[in-house]
Amino acid sequence: MKDPDVVVVGAGADGPVAAWKLARDHGVDVLLLEAGPFYGNEQWPEPHVDSGGTVSTDPDDLDGKLLDEQFTHREAEANDPTYGYLRVGPSNSARAPWFRNLHQNAFIWQVSAVGGTSTHYFSNHPRGYPTAFDDQPHWPDEVSYADMVPYYRLNEEITSTQQAPMTAREEVFIEGASQEKSGEYPLLEDLNVTETGWRPQPNAVEVPGKETSNGQPLDSDYEGSFSYDDGFRGDTLVGDHFQGSSTPVDAPVREKARKSSNIGYVPRALDTNDNPNQGNVAIRPNTYVTDIHTAEGAGNLEATGVEIRDTWSGATQTVEADTVVLAGGCIETPRLWLNSGLPDDGWVGKGLTTHWFDWVVGVYDDDTVADINPDRQHMDPYVGQNSAVRFDKPGVGGLEDIGMSPGLVSFADYLFSEAGYSFDTPTDPDEPWDTRGYIVGKELKRRMANYRQTKAILVLTDDMPRQENGVSLDDTFSDEHGPVPKVRYEPGEEDDERRDELARIAANIHKNAGASHVHRAEWPPLLLHMQSSMRIGKVLDFAGEAKNVNRLFVADHSALANGVGGPNPTNSGQANALRIADHIGKRYF
Amino acid sequence: MKGVGGLAAVSMSGVSIAEAQEVLGQEIPADPHTRDTYRAIVDAIVPRTPELEEELGGEHVPGGLDVELEKFLIWDFNHFQEIRLETLQTPVKTARSGGGPLGDLGGDNPLGDALGGLTETGDLGGGTPLDSVTELVDGLMAPELFQLDLDTISSGSELGALTDLVGLDAVDELTGLLEVEDLDEFGELLDFGAVDRLAIDFADAPIPDDAEGIAEFDLLVEGANEGTHQVIQNYPYANVFPLVFDIVAAEFLLRGENEDTPSPNPEFAGGGTFVRLSREDRLRCLWTIVDGGAIDRLDEILSPMLPTLGILKYVVMAVNGLHGFGYYTEWSGLGDTKTNTPSEREMQVDPSNVQSRNQTDYPGPSDGYAADWRHAVDGGFDDDWETAETPGPADPELPDEAADEAEEATGGDLL
Repeated sequence: MKDPDVVVVGAGADGPVAAWKLARDHGVDVLLLEAGPFYGNEQWPEPHVDSGGTVSTDPDDLDGKLLDEQFTHREAEANDPTYGYLRVGPSNSARAPWFRNLHQNAFIWQVSAVGGTSTHYFSNHPRGYPTAFDDQPHWPDEVSYADMVPYYRLNEEITSTQQAPMTAREEVFIEGASQEKSGEYPLLEDLNVTETGWRPQPNAVEVPGKETSNGQPLDSDYEGSFSYDDGFRGDTLVGDHFQGSSTPVDAPVREKARKSSNIGYVPRALDTNDNPNQGNVAIRPNTYVTDIHTAEGAGNLEATGVEIRDTWSGATQTVEADTVVLAGGCIETPRLWLNSGLPDDGWVGKGLTTHWFDWVVGVYDDDTVADINPDRQHMDPYVGQNSAVRFDKPGVGGLEDIGMSPGLVSFADYLFSEAGYSFDTPTDPDEPWDTRGYIVGKELKRRMANYRQTKAILVLTDDMPRQENGVSLDDTFSDEHGPVPKVRYEPGEEDDERRDELARIAANIHKNAGASHVHRAEWPPLLLHMQSSMRIGKVLDFAGEAKNVNRLFVADHSALANGVGGPNPTNSGQANALRIADHIGKRYF
Repeated sequence: MKGVGGLAAVSMSGVSIAEAQEVLGQEIPADPHTRDTYRAIVDAIVPRTPELEEELGGEHVPGGLDVELEKFLIWDFNHFQEIRLETLQTPVKTARSGGGPLGDLGGDNPLGDALGGLTETGDLGGGTPLDSVTELVDGLMAPELFQLDLDTISSGSELGALTDLVGLDAVDELTGLLEVEDLDEFGELLDFGAVDRLAIDFADAPIPDDAEGIAEFDLLVEGANEGTHQVIQNYPYANVFPLVFDIVAAEFLLRGENEDTPSPNPEFAGGGTFVRLSREDRLRCLWTIVDGGAIDRLDEILSPMLPTLGILKYVVMAVNGLHGFGYYTEWSGLGDTKTNTPSEREMQVDPSNVQSRNQTDYPGPSDGYAADWRHAVDGGFDDDWETAETPGPADPELPDEAADEAEEATGGDLL
């Protein structure tokens, strides 16, 4: 694409959404740039060892079987932050990851790839809470919850968002949460959440066994194939979405069950090239944007294009465009802004929210699980969707029931804490957990021996945007793209109080369900849900355009004005990207 | 709308397999001090547990050392940060070009002029500590961040080596920097095990001003009985952290924070002060970095050892967490390819049958599971929130007016 109308910087969860909307509904030609690899694309058959092609514009480039080969679903091979195929780093796996300076006991978990961090997400697509838009002071008047709803609906339709399936593990959560069982909370049946209660997750995953190879339903008696070539369609109930998720195997990319943006949006974006009445989308991976070019306009600066660097060859080039859209995520978007020397009135990179997570683990006896699930002996945290049932408390945050493969479980349950080692960490007898902190040594092995009867509840706090949290340019380290990002996140006192309240609710849900042991990990900051580091209302106007630079928009999660109340941010980030794309089209095309 | 002619697009690129691949392909054998320090950590977090045999079965006896998990930690830390020549202030003086810490610096620091005084060591005559903090200038890094020479032989002792590294004239000046009351006792406690000297310098010399690409490092580790000299890609953090842990351990003991009496540990004979701590004390000691103020108290003497001291809290997070990414995954099944460059690793054992999977009973990745499931909300979720409009059907063909409808739904004039 020699002369794009719009350059979108970053093909993560949100960039492909904005690109598709601009091309599909506004006739705009979009060059979508991504720093990481493009998996499942014939132009890059060996993305880790060979630079491959340059750009993809043809939906026939997409190859689901190639994606199956590349996403092995092996845990270390996928998730190791240094060498995993889902890391923040160049495609060339012989090189180290891209460095971020983080001076805390904390962990940043992102992915550079077409699809971005959505390549390993659990595809939980709850909407933000209405109160976060309408009652909290962060969103400008032009963006009410009612303004978001049409875009939520559109995004949910594109991503096949629907209620998740309840398997044995979820039945244990329901036993502990539901007022109709041993719990205290009502079932919420509305997508727009204003009350406290539990509900199935709205997940961007197709229905389990939409079609099967032998025409029999997908249940415990199913003996058919899970291959698309044999006729299987829909979700296959494997809990390894964190490792990339390319099921059903053999399916074309667009028919994979979990609709990360490389599945849900990228094929549609490339489809625009086949339609003469629409704009076009070209996707170029392995391309780092190092500078935003601007010109003096009437009053404000005006974006005129970007400087790019090929991550394999190091070659640099200027790409001109009428409008630039940043979608590199909450860390790279402000870093690029700052490295470009653009105006900063104090909120660029600031106001980061992370949902101030915590993690509460329940270990269950065989008899307890068998009483709840008479036909099944184990909860088996690797069966079903990774997170399929949740709890909501608008104004405080939420909870998610989670099952994963054992490497992730050992890290999340027992090897990530800010409380110190359990052998030195006292537990308040008035609190509903039995232990807290790191679990190591013989006790770690004992707990992991009970892996199949263990599950965890993730705490998602409605943490408030604060100016002291976020991204700045590091003053020590630089990489080939300029000074590296320095990242900081510390919760406020009220955030801690909300997190404690939610952790108690989670522990009690475990206890109500009959857990024999409850452990609070007391996580340090895990920067996995990230929002609001380039906030609408501060850095951006309500349409996502920079207040100080014309024709420069931000359309990723960093544009969100707050953490949308605590629900997983992808549905909100993507809905907002759709909304912003409409504003871009209206303003400039 | 514009047509898109040759979608060959912005063209450049075209590089094939990087030469760097070959450099990274080989396993880096760790020196005994490095190896045994990480082995002592693995032993504390995922130990061999013969005592679990009766309770859980024989498969629960082996631990992290049985699968050489220390190699996982060392590989990850030594592939943690790439340093690139074009990001360095130049010229870079190195041992091979007659400068740098491995060369003879003499009385003048040859970097001083080149770096515009940024790396001046300051006037130490009055006991002023060296300010080793260097900052980016014009987005470029000071090369000295990545140059280190800790030499206990020429300096006479561990304390002497620290004294020289900090730039003090005499060992007793350390008293002012270390918040310890008894320097002699600290000196007696501090032991770098099998390491007599650790030196890190840029390997490519002379480095032209316009050099680009991945920097390689000379890594020299000398001990009483053996020495290793390697050229490696990426900064060798894994070899430096164990020395930091020895210093923190000596202070930990001096402050009496240990619960158990330290003792020589022949199982980790190459290690220093750190490996003499009991299993739990090793972890307590690491935790003082996160939550005990250790790096604040030791800031002055630790700062010259690392490009930035601030990452140490992150490192302690990783030291713990990487056990999950290594031990409880399929990694050990990679056999003798487990520290190869990532694209050259191959499973030697089925992921369902590696040591840890026999301890967790996880069957490994699958294409699908035959399992019972149900929907909890009959008929699906309600969604009756009132909006001005809805954008209409999105798939397969969004009506042309849908975008406008969506605009209307936002409730205002967008221009």
